Amino acid sequence: MNLPKKQSWRQLHSRFEPGFKRMLLLSVAIHFLVPMLYSGILYFSPAKEKPPVYRVNLVNKPVKKPQAGRPEASVKKKETVVKKAKPKPKPVVKPKPKPAPKPKAKPKPAPIPKPTISKADEQSFDQKMAELRRQKEREDRLAALRENLEKEREKIESPVVDAPVGEVTGKGDEEGIAYASFVKEFITEQWRLSQYQLPSMNLEAEWKLIYNAQGVLIHKKVVSNSGNKAFDDSLLRAILKSQNLGRELDEQTEFEVTFNLREMQN
Amino acid sequence: MNRGKKLLLLVLALLFSVSSAWAVKIEISAPGEQEIPLALTSFLAMGAAQPKIAAEINAVLEADLGMSGLFSLVDRAAFLSDAETLGLSSVQVDFAQWKLLGAEAVIKGGYRVEGGKLIVEARLFDVISRRMLTGRRYIGKPDEARRIAHTFADQVMLSLTGTKGPFSSRIAYISNRTGKKELYMMEVDGHASVRLTNHREIVLNPDFSPVGKELIFTSYKNGNPDLFRKEVYTGREARLSHRQGLNIGGRYSPDGREIVVTLSKDKNSELYLLGTDGTIHKRLTNHWGIDVDPSWSPKGDKIAFVSDRRGNPHIYIVDVNSLEVKRLTFGGKYNATPAWSPDGERIVFSRLEDKVFDIYTIKPDGTDERRLTFGAGIKEHPRWSPDSRFLVYSLDRDGEKAIYLMRADGTGSRRISAAGGDDSHPAWSGYW
Repeated sequence: MNLPKKQSWRQLHSRFEPGFKRMLLLSVAIHFLVPMLYSGILYFSPAKEKPPVYRVNLVNKPVKKPQAGRPEASVKKKETVVKKAKPKPKPVVKPKPKPAPKPKAKPKPAPIPKPTISKADEQSFDQKMAELRRQKEREDRLAALRENLEKEREKIESPVVDAPVGEVTGKGDEEGIAYASFVKEFITEQWRLSQYQLPSMNLEAEWKLIYNAQGVLIHKKVVSNSGNKAFDDSLLRAILKSQNLGRELDEQTEFEVTFNLREMQN
Repeated sequence: MNRGKKLLLLVLALLFSVSSAWAVKIEISAPGEQEIPLALTSFLAMGAAQPKIAAEINAVLEADLGMSGLFSLVDRAAFLSDAETLGLSSVQVDFAQWKLLGAEAVIKGGYRVEGGKLIVEARLFDVISRRMLTGRRYIGKPDEARRIAHTFADQVMLSLTGTKGPFSSRIAYISNRTGKKELYMMEVDGHASVRLTNHREIVLNPDFSPVGKELIFTSYKNGNPDLFRKEVYTGREARLSHRQGLNIGGRYSPDGREIVVTLSKDKNSELYLLGTDGTIHKRLTNHWGIDVDPSWSPKGDKIAFVSDRRGNPHIYIVDVNSLEVKRLTFGGKYNATPAWSPDGERIVFSRLEDKVFDIYTIKPDGTDERRLTFGAGIKEHPRWSPDSRFLVYSLDRDGEKAIYLMRADGTGSRRISAAGGDDSHPAWSGYW
């Protein structure tokens, strides 16, 4: 019953419409191409400059006496040391207490002579002081500007001037990010649950929601339940209350919403 | 599987992975509001109007559900026409009106007195899903409107949390309002207080049986602090343990078959297990230190108690089978009156700190200690509600001792005992 490969391929080929093979190949190619484009593999990325490498030789640090401690380093001839006889200890004589010297009267400090300044010197001094003041002001202004610059740098960067509304960071280049924030806020507002309803705060459930471009919920599905009735019922109520977002989305969007009580845990 | 099928499967898998990658992921880590907006409508007459009954039912429901901390009540002044209709089934309720008011749940009901009986119909509706969550018909005596309302409040809690509320249970306590310390019992909101003993001596430390409507307590009726048992409804009383010295701090085991008590028959106070007939089953502690204030774990395998065996009084836990003792608390100068929660999650106790006793809770493994009460006054003798949601305790402030109730997290504290005497040593019954 084993038909040759060519024959079986022909049989398979005969089942489909003419041109199916080409379309299938095209479809496969597109489906491979889209994720590749999405992942950015095909894009040209400029070669990054290598960061500077600092080499620190911690083993061969320069030392004052590189040969010190080595056996072959003993090149110097030992000097013959003549041992000196120890001197006999002198008898200890207690020193007589000296009479305390009488305190002498301190000499009065001589009056400091006042410097004599001419008018010309005074003018040049004022000019120098004014210049110093200006310099100081300039430096202060520069310091303030540098400080402001640092503050600006520390601020969260926004890639676009009109960053999407609702996203604090303004990061992301799609309006969908803003919609996600809006939908999150909207559903959160609808969710009512008391901590006194719950035996535990370690509860989590996941829902899949699809909103059409008009902001109307067209599909809802529980991906996973928490197992706690009060918690799961509260989610159902929240989603029923979120059937209409009251604003349009750019396109039909699917949301995977995870509900938990992380913020309520102590 | 031939190549064509393999290729098709690969394409489908690729398509699926690409589509799931496009879904926007959102994490919501707390609800927007932690109170459920509840509309509590006035119970309507289904026959001859009796405003007192309707007012009583509404007042009890409002107090109980308010104490639960679950709800924020929708202002009655904003109610629309649906509040004036009976609406005992979901098709009769105009949910759009309640949704407009922001309510997520609505309680509706009616009553009638028929043949000397009070019949109350009560319903809880979910406004969002437009369905009835719970509905009950209660039949009782005309003066039992309060009891019926408490029972429906318990039912509302069961419906919304999965655990029945404790509002129809009872609280026993000791009061000196007759001049002597006697045993009293009241409803959870402090109403319908009745005196149970007339010993004209000091009565202390009540505890409810988990199986029957009876109590044990210590009384100096015969000159010695003996352990007594009393049936609530028949009033029958018996002396359970009258050994020389202390017979105090009796606590029923969770199955009601044994009682742990402190006896000092051997000159030193130790914990013993007694049968319900008063015979000694087992000695639990054997130490020169004072061992008092026992409290069972809900499984009945461990007992928390107070001992000064290491200096200051601290909470210890003894294993009923192995008699192994483990220290639980290390802080404070004086730790007293532990009570194990019915769900087994925490142990509540009072601790002396800065010359004032306050209420604390701790996990049975010694972690996560939390202080629940603050401010002036001595807070003592904490005990759990049967659902572990609430605590009852005594507060000695401004020269007057009273019984207070609060949620298990220390919020919503309110006085429940009436003025006119010093009230202390509360004990919460099981589900009544």
